[in-house]
Amino acid sequence: MASLKRLETEFPILDRDFQSFCALRGIFTVQDFLIHDLQSLVADAEQQTSSERFMQVLCVIDGLHRPWSNGVELMEDAQKNKHVLSTGCEGMDFLLRGGLHKGQVTELAGPSSSGKTQFCLLTASTVAYKHMGGVIYLDTGNSFSAKRIAQFLNQISRPAFDEMQPIVLQKVMNSILCQSVFDIFSMFDVLHCLESKLKSQMCRGDNDEILIIIDSISSLITPILGSSGSQGRALMVSAMSLLKKLAHEYNLAVLVTNHTVGGDGGIPKPALGESWKTLTHVRLLLSRDCGSDTYHVSLLKHPSAASGKAAKFIINN
Amino acid sequence: MSEADVKSWINGDESAKRMLDRVLTSRPSFSLPPPLHRIPLRVANVVEIAGPSPSAKTQILTQTAVSCVLPKVWNGVHYGGLGRPVLYIDLDCRFDVLRLVEMLRHRIVQVNGCSSTAGNEEILKLSMRQFSYIRCYDSFELLATLKTLHHRLQKEKESNGIGGHLLMIDSIGAFHWVDRASTTLPLGGKNRKCLSLQNVLEIVVEDLRKLLLIHPMLVIVTKTAIVGTTGNEVKRVSTTWPKTCTIASCIVDSWPSLAPVLCIYYVNVFIIHNCREL
Repeated sequence: MASLKRLETEFPILDRDFQSFCALRGIFTVQDFLIHDLQSLVADAEQQTSSERFMQVLCVIDGLHRPWSNGVELMEDAQKNKHVLSTGCEGMDFLLRGGLHKGQVTELAGPSSSGKTQFCLLTASTVAYKHMGGVIYLDTGNSFSAKRIAQFLNQISRPAFDEMQPIVLQKVMNSILCQSVFDIFSMFDVLHCLESKLKSQMCRGDNDEILIIIDSISSLITPILGSSGSQGRALMVSAMSLLKKLAHEYNLAVLVTNHTVGGDGGIPKPALGESWKTLTHVRLLLSRDCGSDTYHVSLLKHPSAASGKAAKFIINN
Repeated sequence: MSEADVKSWINGDESAKRMLDRVLTSRPSFSLPPPLHRIPLRVANVVEIAGPSPSAKTQILTQTAVSCVLPKVWNGVHYGGLGRPVLYIDLDCRFDVLRLVEMLRHRIVQVNGCSSTAGNEEILKLSMRQFSYIRCYDSFELLATLKTLHHRLQKEKESNGIGGHLLMIDSIGAFHWVDRASTTLPLGGKNRKCLSLQNVLEIVVEDLRKLLLIHPMLVIVTKTAIVGTTGNEVKRVSTTWPKTCTIASCIVDSWPSLAPVLCIYYVNVFIIHNCREL
């Protein structure tokens, strides 16, 4: 956070007197100012007859602070911007009450080879084709396959001809951007670049991206989650906080995948521990019948639906 | 001391009946939906709802917000709400406004009996106008919000004369790990406070207390209690929080399935502290 000295150019009210007043009390940055008790500072300032200046500073802070949203504004924003993206899979759409919600983070957990990547690829193709939006696919295990996306697109479009027109195919596939990330710090890098790009796009009023897929986020987080020490969990919480911020402010849907670990009685449960449970909006558990194309998915958590519901779907090869 | 002074001292400032009248009008009690209906709550009380995830803590907050924003009587129809403004500070960033609207609409339809008319939409908008929402993505944003809240409430009091808000904070422990990991070494000598979890929590508690002194309101806070099997995940929140702030704690037991509209509760409510008023 910025130091008071540097803010002087932008806010001339924070002049030398104010800075020396603060320096005497050990306040050099905005962070220090926030963790001090305001009333005792005001009382001190009153004794030194510079309390008016203080009040002015507080007014400046109030003016700059993020505004509170009214309920009516929130409702209108949700109805106008936060649409639902169909995943291309009827069973899943039924379970999710329409599909992936913009502004929410959906987690898909399942043991290995239970169809998580297939589902991510299907969702990416559906969103790129039907909703005509950009998809950012962060791939942590080299499992992204452009050929499979093309197959899905041919299945979805089902035109009069056997295959989709190559020009259309190329245009749709151009809107899916795939990036390989192998550790959490490069993921932070990618997300920060995305944030600045979206911010500048938003000023121009021309927002293209609507979905972020991270397959799989657990392979980025598990190496840093030690049993003791809070660094790993802190990184996990900040990563999810950043994703939720991107989802809400730039109207994106986020889909992350997670693996499973053994739970009570041998029933698999999602990995990443108890602290992870509170970080996503919607949680799904996926499994596959051995050697078949049928997938079973059950709902573990949803903001407006009962948990425990299950559905079945088939993804053809 | 003259005789008149002694007499006035013996007579006291006001009778008990007058004091009760005064307190009941200036600090009215809230009648909230279950499970908070068992505790006699009034302004300047702080309630903490703790429980593992998922155990319907946010659901309780949403339900309470619905009862709070609905007016008592409107257009001759008795809605039975409190008609008070609600301030919602979302630290978890998982609030779903459509869920709130769904529950509000359901309540209105229950009272009115018809599914969708212009009157219903009007009262929905009126109630939603009483709801204010803000998100904070880290502890410093939370501190800035609490510090500027006084100014905002002051302005509202001067313009509308409304008091007696309800402040809800969703998941006070949302930044626990981040703050714990970012404890810095003390720089710049002894004068400077170092940014540790302890300091941040103390300041949050202090700011809340000072805010409650000037603008008495009911505060409801949720906290996710994490208990892992190995005991490594137990969240230890600083001891200043329960000691100075909490008036009553409800521990919500985990419940298997949530019926979205009917809200059937299987909840064990334990009242932990029945403390003095702030």
